[in-house]
Amino acid sequence: MLIFVSCLLLFLTSLALIGLRLTQPTARFAWLVAVGGAMLAFASVFVWLAQMPFEFVLPSWQPGVLFSSRVSFRADGLSWPLALSIAALTLTMLLTAVARPIIANSYTWTGALALGGIGILAVTADNPLTLLLVWAALDFTELAAHLLAVEGVSNNEKVVTSFAMRALGSGILLWGNIVSIAQGSAFNFHSMPANSGLYLVAAAGLRLGVFPLHLPYSSESSLRRGFGTSLRLISAVSTLILLAHVPAGNSASLTPFLLAFAAVAGLYGGWMWLRAPDELTGRPYWVIGLAALSITSALSGNPLGAVAWGCALILVGGSLFLASVQQVWLNRALLIGAWSLSALPFSLTAGAWLGNLGFFLPLVIAAQALLVAGFIRHALRPSGRDTLDSQAGWTRTVYPAGIILLIACQILLGFIGWDGALQVGAWLPAIIASLLTVGLVWATPRFRILNPIRAHWVKGSASSRMDEFYGSLWAIYRMFRRISQAVNLTLEGESGIMWTLLFLIIFISIMTQGLP
Amino acid sequence: MLLFLRERISPLIAGTVASILALTALIIPIDTALLLGSISLKISPSIQFFGRSFSLSNADGSLLAVIYGLAALWFFGTEASGSANRFVSFGLMIVALLTASIAVEPFLFAALLLEMAAMLVIPLLIPPTQKPSRGVVRFLIYQTLAMPFILFSGWMLAGVEASPGDINTTVQAGTMLGLGFAFLLGVFPLYNWIPMITEDSPPYVVGFLLWALPTFIVVFALGFLDRYTWVRTSPQLSGAIQLAGIFMVASGGVFAALQRHIGRMMGYAAIAETGLLMLAMGMQSAEIVNVSFLLLIPRGLELAVWALALSIIKRKAPTLQFNEVQGLARSYPVATTAIILSHLSMTGFPLLAGFPPRLALWQELAGQSLPTSFWVFFGMLGLLFAATRTLAVFVMAGGNNVWKLSESWVQMTMLGLGMIGLFILGMFPQVLQPFLINLPALFNHLGQ
Repeated sequence: MLIFVSCLLLFLTSLALIGLRLTQPTARFAWLVAVGGAMLAFASVFVWLAQMPFEFVLPSWQPGVLFSSRVSFRADGLSWPLALSIAALTLTMLLTAVARPIIANSYTWTGALALGGIGILAVTADNPLTLLLVWAALDFTELAAHLLAVEGVSNNEKVVTSFAMRALGSGILLWGNIVSIAQGSAFNFHSMPANSGLYLVAAAGLRLGVFPLHLPYSSESSLRRGFGTSLRLISAVSTLILLAHVPAGNSASLTPFLLAFAAVAGLYGGWMWLRAPDELTGRPYWVIGLAALSITSALSGNPLGAVAWGCALILVGGSLFLASVQQVWLNRALLIGAWSLSALPFSLTAGAWLGNLGFFLPLVIAAQALLVAGFIRHALRPSGRDTLDSQAGWTRTVYPAGIILLIACQILLGFIGWDGALQVGAWLPAIIASLLTVGLVWATPRFRILNPIRAHWVKGSASSRMDEFYGSLWAIYRMFRRISQAVNLTLEGESGIMWTLLFLIIFISIMTQGLP
Repeated sequence: MLLFLRERISPLIAGTVASILALTALIIPIDTALLLGSISLKISPSIQFFGRSFSLSNADGSLLAVIYGLAALWFFGTEASGSANRFVSFGLMIVALLTASIAVEPFLFAALLLEMAAMLVIPLLIPPTQKPSRGVVRFLIYQTLAMPFILFSGWMLAGVEASPGDINTTVQAGTMLGLGFAFLLGVFPLYNWIPMITEDSPPYVVGFLLWALPTFIVVFALGFLDRYTWVRTSPQLSGAIQLAGIFMVASGGVFAALQRHIGRMMGYAAIAETGLLMLAMGMQSAEIVNVSFLLLIPRGLELAVWALALSIIKRKAPTLQFNEVQGLARSYPVATTAIILSHLSMTGFPLLAGFPPRLALWQELAGQSLPTSFWVFFGMLGLLFAATRTLAVFVMAGGNNVWKLSESWVQMTMLGLGMIGLFILGMFPQVLQPFLINLPALFNHLGQ
């Protein structure tokens, strides 16, 4: 029930904001309402600790004989840190909104609060059926928020493409479960057969929110920084929880291939993140890199590691992406994120490499070092950010409090509240990764290959490749459409009935051949 | 009488009558005296009409409640759709005839009543002062061809029951029966009239037709399966039904994905849905009745919402082609959202009404044949592609288009209620349980 309370606080606040926007569009206290609701939700997640683990199960679908699974949510040592991270991110997004150029009750606040509530439901989902339902709610929320916010044909098209990719990801999870049922297993996370692992990874890949690579925001819009951050990070985490639930032993035959794939994705994400011109342009690569590390942990039989990387994705990434204001001490405080990502003892990710990674360990350490080095570079290079000098006095307190909240949560989760707290972890790989990070930070300004690539170059190259890809897909589609038009013209034309009867006779002939 | 009333009143009267009939079917038991003070009320289980008996039992109550409840939904939406007065009057007649088809004894006469209902649809499909389109003519031809096949097969099946060893009669009877239902349901490849009429005729009427006829035909077909042991137990017939279902789901999905006309897309989605019903009827499972009705009830709501929204859009964009509806989401947000939600529901998108029945069907099919499940999945992917394409076209608006509401309050209310219904059925399918629980009693042998 406590899960429901936390989510309800966010949903009710979201509804209150809609009501205020409709009745009093200029109300100045709308922000206070939003922050108040988010703060209560954040505090309520701590109350979970008093009762954990616990479940919240909805009434079963009827007829019971047709629906074996029930919609259920579970708060435990795996889901709690993620729920806390999502609640913290939502609150920070609203607190830092005071430093944006326009501060008014907008659908983005409503969307962010709803997204936070659905995100908490997603990370606590206890079976694939529940996850599918929550994912669908997440997809609808994202779709509505985006369509209301973006302008232009191309941007709207990107929104629909993103929705379609996520829907396809949900479809693949559903198919994985059909395969599971066909092989006599139940519709739950724990008894999936070996070959379902591939479907889960494919579903997660499509739903991570990295395709299309850049969401439809103009490069400097506050929407991109505020709501875009919530959207990207919560979407990714709501997907990663799927992998955290799957025991590695279940897909033993495919594990090496999946590990190799995840390691390569991690290296690619880390490399692109390190060389990204700014943190928002590099955000998709941050998601790819950390998601790859999370998948690697899950596949190595360490769900705690998967959760730790998921929390780092939100808390460390959120603090960097939401920081839109130049403040020296705050930029330095952001570097605590590097500690959180280091996997050193008692850090947030201390339990990250406790699984059996075999000969993939060097690759994932390299990927981790690239991501941490990239994070340090972006945190210390806040070019183009505004300053707080021109802002009202209270915003100079509220804005840093938002960023500090995420940093505090990183430290807090290293010590209390979940199964991955107070871990010494695999300290040797952590030290190697840290040394490599120091080396990369030192080398970045000195070696040209490590220098950031220009933003317009990234965009141009990527978009031309994608354009070619889309072009070839459309060519195939047009070919099929011509074929379908020919079939329709034949069947719906003057001679259509004769053709239909001919098909029918052929069909009956085929069928009657099977009779004794 | 409704033909002569004002357009605003007749839908209300028809909807109220249908609602009262639904409640009556749900609350008042058949053939049981009900004491209301000093008045004793009893619904007779059968009546005689032209020498034929029309019988209903208590088990029919839930079925009638579902049918008249959904019919009420259609009638209440008539005004919002802008359909003419004759829709409600003819609609009531059609529903009455179709209801008679499930009550008539001997039950083979249902084929005649179905044919009469199909004929009554014709005046609705043809706009006044216009010649019938090719799709309408083809619809009438196929429905008429179905009748002799069904009647012959019924006569031959009686012979098969008497001498089950006669293979020739069995094959002939099975073929006749299959052909009859293929024509009636518009089974692959006999469904080409569906996209044709969705392109030419009023969407609301087409939606009503695509809901009403298949619903009663499925009940009629379940009656056949229930009565004749040979039909029920024949693996060949079951295989043929499933194969036809697979073709319908897969081809419906693929053709929907390749359309540029949002009316035709509804037609292909309805075809795919009929395919799912056939797969449910072809299952070797005791859950045929539950799965079939779990599919049928949301279908009524999905098609009602979709057809109503299309009717509203059609006033602005008469051809319903992509190039005409581009960017309409900004001026008709409620109608376009309704189209997308009903379309997604028919793809089995989670959280919407179509998801629980498809999940149930998939679970049953997965236990029998993974390839069959795959083709269903493939068909649903085709529908999903079509839905996202439609969505992309609807939202493809330039920067200077502002959001506004062009729908009337009545239209928004009806569509809003329909969309809420889609979500309720998707999240809490157990709300249908009071209706579903008694339905297996209608078919004594199917649930065993």
